[in-house]
Amino acid sequence: MKTRGLSLMASGALLFAAGCELPPVDAVDMGFRGVGMQHVVNPGTLQDSVQAIAARAPTISGEAPADMVPAPEGTWENVQVLGHLSEAEFNRFMLNMTIWVAQNTGQGCNYCHVVDDQGQVNFVSDDIYTKVVSRDMIRMTQDINTNWSSHVGDVGVNCWTCHQGEALPTNYWFFAEDGRRDIQRYFVNEQDRQIERYNLDETGVRVISQVPLRGDSDNRISTNDTRHAYWVMLQMSEALGVNCTYCHTSARFSDWEESPPARVHALRGVRMVRAMNESYMLPLQTTWPENRLGPLGDGPKMQCATCHIGAYKPQFSNPASYGAGHPALTRIGVPHGGSSDAMMTMGLEGTQGMP
Amino acid sequence: MAMLSFEKKYRTRGGTLIGGDLFDFWIGPFYVGFFGVATIFFATLGTALCVYGAAIGEGLAGQTWNLWQINIAPPPLEYGLGFAPMTEGGLWQAITICAIGAFVAWALRQAEISRKLGMGYHVPVAYGVAILAYVTLVVVRPVLMGAWGHGFPYGIISHLDWVSNVGYQYLHFHYNPAHMIAVSFFFTTTFALGLHGSLILSVTNPKKGDPVRSSEHENTYFRDTIGYSIGAIGIHRLGLFLALNAGIWSAICIVISGPFWTRGWPEWWAWWLNLPIWS
Repeated sequence: MKTRGLSLMASGALLFAAGCELPPVDAVDMGFRGVGMQHVVNPGTLQDSVQAIAARAPTISGEAPADMVPAPEGTWENVQVLGHLSEAEFNRFMLNMTIWVAQNTGQGCNYCHVVDDQGQVNFVSDDIYTKVVSRDMIRMTQDINTNWSSHVGDVGVNCWTCHQGEALPTNYWFFAEDGRRDIQRYFVNEQDRQIERYNLDETGVRVISQVPLRGDSDNRISTNDTRHAYWVMLQMSEALGVNCTYCHTSARFSDWEESPPARVHALRGVRMVRAMNESYMLPLQTTWPENRLGPLGDGPKMQCATCHIGAYKPQFSNPASYGAGHPALTRIGVPHGGSSDAMMTMGLEGTQGMP
Repeated sequence: MAMLSFEKKYRTRGGTLIGGDLFDFWIGPFYVGFFGVATIFFATLGTALCVYGAAIGEGLAGQTWNLWQINIAPPPLEYGLGFAPMTEGGLWQAITICAIGAFVAWALRQAEISRKLGMGYHVPVAYGVAILAYVTLVVVRPVLMGAWGHGFPYGIISHLDWVSNVGYQYLHFHYNPAHMIAVSFFFTTTFALGLHGSLILSVTNPKKGDPVRSSEHENTYFRDTIGYSIGAIGIHRLGLFLALNAGIWSAICIVISGPFWTRGWPEWWAWWLNLPIWS
């Protein structure tokens, strides 16, 4: 009897241990001491770790010139968004981009540049869809770094931030027939799709009643909407590896005045993701080949997790993820041969003016 | 002061744990003892420090005599397990030492009285479980997490804020398995007390003219309604078991939140979904 009891206890303890983490933990205060506004993580069980990222971070080849003169007209053909670069910087960027995106394809330059009948690489051709997509992704990154510094800060992002050396970033999403589509629809404006119920702008997750203790208040939010708000919040929580108190005080979830500043940052991020999906991802619909489409025939789209991949700062702010230091990505590009005046004008536009 | 007829029997010298005859006397009906003096010392000092903290307003609300808002907060996390300046959580550390000193001294005083009565240590052990829960919150868990700043603040509203925020730090605390067990024990304790209390009230308050009922009536009532009566001693053993488990599982549920699990509690249940039976 005694042995059986002991072995039962031992297996119970093992089961418990299997489902648990072990100390020590890392924690930072997010508010006044003692009110439990803390961000607690166990470094051993993060989806990703600072060390792992440092280990896989690519070596950036070369350095951008301090004073760059755009390559003289006639240097290239069919360069539409990188005309502001010098020839050396252009080549350096192409090399880096190959490492950032095509590293594991085994194809190198040929992932985006086709080989013609004579066996020569045809850099001018747009015959392969990956080149067309790349160009739009460069435009998108330029837009993010130029117009969305409210979310990406001064350091900005580059291709590696999301791609991590893979042709496809890990956390893209499609419309699906299961319930998770509710979360994902938060990131595109569904107006033209006539799905009113899930056409949520940023007010769409505000489900808490503003009038306390009144059964007859104006709050017509349904349980389903509330469940949807919870899902939206949970996808952010998962994407950033944080819990509710990273952005909210739990006594007053909806109150901006009492929320940590991270919440403002997150809202800007949500707006950015929506804008990027609408301006760049959705318009690529006709460009994708069939094997890149989801079960309902739509192209890949982005969400918080696409860049964050479980970290409250993408790649825990490893410098290899910065757009800074890559002039190709830190300003709105111009077609090759365009004037620098054109650059300035375009720099002021950005997402707001995009279709 | 009047003495109950049986009090003489246990007003005996000896049985102290420390200090021999020192403080081994009564003031009125109250046994003093070394640990009685220690309790008064720590309780008075701790309370005075709380009042001092309220007077200088070292908490979030600033200086206030509003009883709801007075707040003595633990140090910021940056001080780790070291001492903090008095106005930045040092006061909380001192008050915590006083509180633990007062609680433990009180338990030891109960132990001394138990020895004088020649009875078991049920009372100090039961009270010790409450101390265990408190010490788990302000010592064990902070030490495991590496900073006193993980303790809860001493204030009526502020400690509620702490409970709420720490709960949401783990997304949904009701999915904490030990919390589930603790809550079940708390409800079962009150349920058992409700059943027992109503039974005792009804047998001791019969209809006018009827005699007070005996334990036979008590047993019969429960045998009739649920087919079993645990008995007069049994219900108190059960009550103790339920109440202590409520406290113990509460301590477990908070000590695993942070040191042994940092993600949302709903996510912890992935092990269930991953059981080889269906996964």
